[in-house]
Amino acid sequence: MDYDKNIVEKVSDTLVRAGSVFLPDKKEAYKRAIESEVNQQARWTLEMILKNAITAEKNCSPLCDDTGIPHLVLEVGPDTVVTGKIMQSIREGIRQGLRKLPGRPMAIKGNDFQRIDQSLGMDEDPGALEPAPVLIRNIEENVLRLHVLMFGGGPAIRGKTYRIFHKHNVENVLNEIISWATDATAMLGCTPCTLAVGVGRSHYEASSMMLQALVDGTYDKQSEMEKEITRKVNEAGAGPLGLGGTTTVLATFMKVGPQRASGVRVVCMRPCCCFEPRIATVEL
Amino acid sequence: MKRLITPITEQDITDLRVGDMVLLSGKIYCGRDAVLPKICQLIEDEKLKEHDIDLEGSVIFHTAVSPAGVGPTSSNKLEIEGSFPILSKAGVKLHLGKGAIKKETIALLEDYNSVFAVIPPVTALLGENTISQRVAAFPELGMEAFYELEVKEYPVIIAAAHNESIY
Repeated sequence: MDYDKNIVEKVSDTLVRAGSVFLPDKKEAYKRAIESEVNQQARWTLEMILKNAITAEKNCSPLCDDTGIPHLVLEVGPDTVVTGKIMQSIREGIRQGLRKLPGRPMAIKGNDFQRIDQSLGMDEDPGALEPAPVLIRNIEENVLRLHVLMFGGGPAIRGKTYRIFHKHNVENVLNEIISWATDATAMLGCTPCTLAVGVGRSHYEASSMMLQALVDGTYDKQSEMEKEITRKVNEAGAGPLGLGGTTTVLATFMKVGPQRASGVRVVCMRPCCCFEPRIATVEL
Repeated sequence: MKRLITPITEQDITDLRVGDMVLLSGKIYCGRDAVLPKICQLIEDEKLKEHDIDLEGSVIFHTAVSPAGVGPTSSNKLEIEGSFPILSKAGVKLHLGKGAIKKETIALLEDYNSVFAVIPPVTALLGENTISQRVAAFPELGMEAFYELEVKEYPVIIAAAHNESIY
């Protein structure tokens, strides 16, 4: 295959950054949490997580041994063109980035049956791991921009996508999300969380909104709905690693998409672990 | 800050309290859902010694061991939490992972004077504090094999001990 070497290199480096570097707003969110946390064990844990991030960034090494499944969001400006070669080059960049990080070898071998029961084991090549299907969206800027997000397994176990009957009241939807998140964060083990929430018309759309929320969200600016979810889940007091304290959730990133004319909203809630969103961005 | 060095003694465990922050050093074993039921089977078949595994006073860290490093997986996975009774009876003194475990499990740990501790998923820091590693059993499981690590000052917090817990 004839790849675009420039894209391959950029994507590879971006994946390594996603797996090893905290963005500045997340570092600041941790510093604020450390200052305000009153539980001694919880504060010690938060300090360890931030120290780990500084070490991982210095060494260009994984933040977590569950290096995650690559999820890609490709933003396409008005006059930019996406070709098959560009998509193949992005895929090759992901492959090389997984080898460079290094990613944990997690590609399950075999046919449908064998991949479900894991009877053939795993491919030793970290690069054999397939990324999730690429999400493409339009943007106003005239660039082609790729976001690489690495999704760990713990949040996938505790996440939930399901319908909520809104009864024409936002509070009904928020309360259900808070209930899901409270249960999930108590069991997750890798708190503090960043809650990612998508609201859509189908399970697919809600998951897509959740992914976009992680791209667009910031710890510096939170909507009223995001603040309310964060505050109420924190009131339950699970805390970092479930040790108690005030810092179960650092922030909520929520995206509400188009809605169906019906009594139902489909909500996807991912309780992202203490390192997520592991994200990095590059213009191709 | 307390310090523990393996093998852990009965008195070490008696002195531990829920919430204790501990620096753990020495040789520890690593395994998670794929391999721990196999280790339990070795115990029941009295074949542990054939693999040069000594669980007396030991630690089992619920993690894979891969080129990406180590970090805790959820200890409340069925196969992991289900292994606590047999492993504790065989001499494991400290089960190390993350997440809430059941009340029944916490009570059972006390029967064998064992404890459960959580460890922050700080892979980059743990990598700097891991001195050596070897596969102790079931190498065919790759990163999910049963590993023995020599570690220095892993940061852990006692989450369940003496019929009490943080949950």
